[in-house]
Amino acid sequence: MTMLLTLLREVSLREWRLHPWRQGVGVLAVALGVALAFSVHLINESALSEFSSAVRSATGQSDGALQCPQFCDDRIWDVIQAQDSVRAASPVLEVDTYALNARGQRMAIKVLGLDALSIAAVAPDLLPRLSPGTGDRLDLLNPQRLFLNPAAMQVLQVQPGQTLLIQAGLELQPLMVAGTVATGGSPVAVVDIAGAQEHFQALGRISRIELRLAPGHPLLALEARWREQAWWPVGARLQAPQEGTQRVSTASRAYRVNLTVLALVALFVGAFLVFSVQSLSVAQRTPSLALLGVMGLSPRQRLWLILSESLLLGLSGSAIGVLMGTGAAWLALRWLAGDLGGGYFPGIAPSLQFSATAAAAFAVLGVVAALLGGWAPARQAQGLAVAQALKGLGGASVRTLSDWTGPVLVGLGAALALLPPWKGLALGAYGAVALLLLGGIACVPAVVAILLRHAHPQDDVRAVLAVGRAKAHEDGTCRPP
Amino acid sequence: MLKVQSLGKRYGDAWVFRGVSFDVAPGELVAVLGESGVGKSTLLNGLAGLDTVEEGCIELRQTQVLSLDEHALALWRRREVGFVFQAFHVLPHLSVAQNVALHLLLLGVPRLERETRVQQMLRSVGLQGFEDRAPRTLSGGQLQRVAIARALTHRPALVLADEPTGNLDPDTAERVIALLRQQVHELQAACVLVTHSRAAARVADRVLQLQAHGITPA
Repeated sequence: MTMLLTLLREVSLREWRLHPWRQGVGVLAVALGVALAFSVHLINESALSEFSSAVRSATGQSDGALQCPQFCDDRIWDVIQAQDSVRAASPVLEVDTYALNARGQRMAIKVLGLDALSIAAVAPDLLPRLSPGTGDRLDLLNPQRLFLNPAAMQVLQVQPGQTLLIQAGLELQPLMVAGTVATGGSPVAVVDIAGAQEHFQALGRISRIELRLAPGHPLLALEARWREQAWWPVGARLQAPQEGTQRVSTASRAYRVNLTVLALVALFVGAFLVFSVQSLSVAQRTPSLALLGVMGLSPRQRLWLILSESLLLGLSGSAIGVLMGTGAAWLALRWLAGDLGGGYFPGIAPSLQFSATAAAAFAVLGVVAALLGGWAPARQAQGLAVAQALKGLGGASVRTLSDWTGPVLVGLGAALALLPPWKGLALGAYGAVALLLLGGIACVPAVVAILLRHAHPQDDVRAVLAVGRAKAHEDGTCRPP
Repeated sequence: MLKVQSLGKRYGDAWVFRGVSFDVAPGELVAVLGESGVGKSTLLNGLAGLDTVEEGCIELRQTQVLSLDEHALALWRRREVGFVFQAFHVLPHLSVAQNVALHLLLLGVPRLERETRVQQMLRSVGLQGFEDRAPRTLSGGQLQRVAIARALTHRPALVLADEPTGNLDPDTAERVIALLRQQVHELQAACVLVTHSRAAARVADRVLQLQAHGITPA
């Protein structure tokens, strides 16, 4: 091991300095693959985490909610309250909008229009609490007052008693901060529901009804029963507290998986480039490797030397890739939000949530890709017939693939593409992409051979002979036939 | 030190040579002459375990070379054998000192000791002051001296030289062979020199003629 490290430092790295671009391409290829995969993961995890936090802060830990498709008529509240299975119900109008902070910057915020008289029984975390000295108890019902949770206070840098500008349609609505709400998570502002309906031009409309159910009435059974009633709003559903996060996670799964597969394709390309770089390197260094072989570097040690070089490429590429991926995720979250413009995570502005475990996992993926890419060249170095190689007689025992390997892989890829999705994921199609890529590469030698066969080399020979005869005739050295 | 007995090599049904037996004493330089294609380089490769031989045995310092497996053979070459080639085979991206230190690197010799031994060896072959020079700045004779230094710096028991003067002019060739002989004597290594140059062979302590049916004194 020590000897390999010494050789790597004293021989390989010195050789790399002569061809920095060759090794640089390998490092960059791995780095790009890791960066793409890691940034997709970071963006999505940050967005999901933020969305989950937003859902938690907006529901205030009720038993569930009647979720409207977009809005429901607020008269449905009376119907729900009258149900035996409902102990308490409270209407909510939820709006994702922006508020201007102390510096005049637009910050994303969720505004909840609540009924302060009924919310305590359903979701006590959302109950507005007046700050001392900012007004009287009637401010809980004042449409010009709002209450912020700790996250909103921090992000917007306001204190009770100050006025906050909230985006309502095309206007900025000035509302005074009258107190706080206890709910955690992302920034939330609570206003009286009547005021919210007025500010956001949603008179008579609500987004959902938070529910506290009577014992013995599970949410699923209740939904099945209510759906048969005439008053049930079209498109509405009963939603468990964390169902929102799951729903968004499921909705965004296809885009996440697609981007991850794209990143894996990038890693595959990285592995292929490492293969090319290392193959070229081994071919150019055949005399050096043969000399080391003659001097006592065993075949197994030559294999390990080339694999160590690939490992070094992989480690460098992965380290750069993790840094690039983190930077790319930060930029994407800042400019494109958590869904890269896909609309899966409405109303949130996620911050980057770096995970050392995920970084390590993606770095390992990069290293594995580099090692896979370096395997064939390493085997080539291992199989070197050193004595012949030193005499410039090649010496590498190259095992070529059958002519049928490429077409068979392409055929298998085409067949896989026809498979139906599994649990909503097009796994067959992803496998098809991999096989088509491998098959395409495996087809190259056969295609080149066919092209060369049809290039009519005999025509070239005739042309060369004709030129030769013409020259000889010109020189007078011989007669043309 | 080196005992070769009844060595035979064939490709398919055709024997390249057979019944090759000879000994080389410590500090002795034995030249092997022979026509082109008679198997001189093949014999050398066989002695080093780089090529298989079909019969016979090779013994160096009580080690039966042909009984070693591939890995053990590599370790044995690393410790016991030094090579000098016609084409020098000096690594172009390493300096003179780094090239000379290659065997010591493989043997895991500590850096300080490595540097000391490389200095000594470069002094011995008349290349003092060339440590940091790049191989491309050296002449053919200097390159071969680097190769000799590299082959001897780990104090091997056996030195194998394959046409070491083949790429050199006669004067330089004479000096290089004399240097090789001097170093082999100093280190008390057994040296087998394969050449078709009678001038080179004249410097040897003993000259053998390789033929298809064996090896005889020339």
